[in-house]
Amino acid sequence: MALFGFEKDTLLDLTVNVIPLGIILFFIAAFAVVPAFGTDPVFTGMQFALMISMFLLLAVLTYYAGRAIEGAEQEQESLEEASAVNEPEGEVTGLEDGDDAEAELDDASADGDDE
Amino acid sequence: MAAGDLVLTGLMAVLLVGIAALLTRIENWRSYTPLAGGGTATGETVVHREKPAGIVRWLTTVDHKDIGLLYGVYAVIAFAVGGIMAMLIRLQLVTPGGALLGANAYNSILTSHGITMLFLFGTPIIAAFANYFIPLLIGADDMAFPRINAIAFWLLPPAALLIWAGFFLAPVTENMIEPAQTAWTMYTPLSVEQTNPGVDLMLLGLHLSGVAATMGAINFIATVFTERAEEVTWANLDIFSWTILTQSALILFAFPLLGSAIVMLLLDRNLATTFFAVEGGGPLLWQHLFWFFGHPEVYILVLPPMGLVSLILPKFAGRKLFGFKFVVYSTLAIGVLSFGVWAHHMFSTGMDPRLRASFMAVSLAIAIPSAVKTFNWITTMWNGRLRLTSPMLFCIGFISNFIIGGVTGVFLAAIPVDLVLHDTYYVVGHFHYIVMGAIGFAAFAGIYYWFPVFTGRMYQRTLGKAHFWLSMIGTNVTFFAMLALGYLGMPRRYATYQFDGAIAPLAQVQTYHLLATVGAVLLFVGQLIFVWNVVQSWLEGPKVEDGDPWDLERDGMLDREFQWFDRKLETAVTDGGEDEEQSALTGARSDD
Repeated sequence: MALFGFEKDTLLDLTVNVIPLGIILFFIAAFAVVPAFGTDPVFTGMQFALMISMFLLLAVLTYYAGRAIEGAEQEQESLEEASAVNEPEGEVTGLEDGDDAEAELDDASADGDDE
Repeated sequence: MAAGDLVLTGLMAVLLVGIAALLTRIENWRSYTPLAGGGTATGETVVHREKPAGIVRWLTTVDHKDIGLLYGVYAVIAFAVGGIMAMLIRLQLVTPGGALLGANAYNSILTSHGITMLFLFGTPIIAAFANYFIPLLIGADDMAFPRINAIAFWLLPPAALLIWAGFFLAPVTENMIEPAQTAWTMYTPLSVEQTNPGVDLMLLGLHLSGVAATMGAINFIATVFTERAEEVTWANLDIFSWTILTQSALILFAFPLLGSAIVMLLLDRNLATTFFAVEGGGPLLWQHLFWFFGHPEVYILVLPPMGLVSLILPKFAGRKLFGFKFVVYSTLAIGVLSFGVWAHHMFSTGMDPRLRASFMAVSLAIAIPSAVKTFNWITTMWNGRLRLTSPMLFCIGFISNFIIGGVTGVFLAAIPVDLVLHDTYYVVGHFHYIVMGAIGFAAFAGIYYWFPVFTGRMYQRTLGKAHFWLSMIGTNVTFFAMLALGYLGMPRRYATYQFDGAIAPLAQVQTYHLLATVGAVLLFVGQLIFVWNVVQSWLEGPKVEDGDPWDLERDGMLDREFQWFDRKLETAVTDGGEDEEQSALTGARSDD
């Protein structure tokens, strides 16, 4: 699944911002369907402009933040794979989670040996 | 009188222009970097060896750690001043007629309490943590612009003096210049029509603090974007840096607007412009401008504390932060949405109901990201190996208070509820649960958590716990009583409350005021213990010899700042920069 070019895990993370987006969307729809205070070109325009602009800004920021984080993750993964092939064991440093990453690298290099 | 105001304002303007002119004569802002001697993994020794001794070090420092400490000391002093003002307010309200102060003195103290706590304590204490720890957490040598960092701090002491100027000047000018009595929101027309020059001084001070905050924000954004170590990416940037980055973006968009509004208010006051006059822009314009800054300011103050809790809580839960990326994305969401909710402070002003409805919609939406974080913190603790140290207790206290402060906020976001509770103590209780119960608690958690790093010593644990329990009980007694007062219809900001028993039950109101004051006394005692603990432990506490005082290695949670601390301890022997006599004198406060 690659909605908007995101991986499944990233999409799952992004759901956290989909909920406020959904709430704003709900109110946009509700106020459009039931204009309880009547309509007025200026005030109704401002009312929807506020909600729609917030919706768009949040959607755009979420998209780019997701892109940046996913991009950095992929880069890191490819670096880890590269260093696992090229560097001898025990000399890989500076990764976010030393123990886990090293364990993964051990696995990766073991796989490499098998092949 | 008006001529006097004008001269005073003119003099201040000349002074500020002079300072600006002086600063622009410096040719190269980056000609000096603290690591000019060459930055290496252990380059810190170079920095410290080059520092001058004594007070000159503190006046001239551009080292982010020193500036962080300066911010911290400044914030704690402001917290003490603001706290004493709060105590005076609470003692005044023990009896309906007012126990201590006249109405003017009460209004002065109320105004200064708000401004002091928000601008002189809240923002600086966050800057203290950010200055000291962001470069360490992201593996930078220093802030991107060390000198701007120093200037940003040094604008704050004059800002405080201007904000408090009325208190100093009233006795010597026979009350010609009094402290501002506008409340921290400075609503027009009141703030335009008060002829007291103390209001102008306060506005200038506030403006200066805004300039300082903006400079700091630019610096943090540049630092996080450009000074990260190679291995620190957007994917593994720590949560505190994320929140500071978002906060800085908010400051960048919000504070210049406050500055502009303040200049307009000064012009209205002194040059008879009509920005906020009925025949001009109208008094409501001020409220719109102020709250367009003011609501993001709430998140400017609360996002970094959320980052602190997200950083510290997992360390003592023995588990990684549950849903790290949820917290990151929700932080960004709060950052954006905070600019679309400002008029929920103005529901009762008679604005167009359609506009009001849209602000309610966005206000309800912004509750979600905050709630998501709360669930993340709770889930992080779920089945964790909890260690109830002082920083952890304050983190848990933060969550508890934040839930009450947050839920009461959701009610206020709903227009019908707000119309009933607006301008009552319910609102005061709500936001104090956030600013004291959450922001204050996170600051304490940060101070205790990093105490070994910035002092090299350990605080007294029993006193830390006493501080927590007194603060926790005090906060809840005081501010829960305020929520009840709000339901009873007690309006906020009043120096007395001798109202007719037919309007509201006076006896109950007085009881709750008394309860709130008892809670405030508990809080006050707790903070005395805190100050004693910090000062005494800093001077005499047991030296920390292990680079991992919290035993974080076991869970693989030793962050960069503690790794740096560990390296510093290891290199301290070979460093040997200070002779024994000097280190005996300054060792307690020296961080090298």
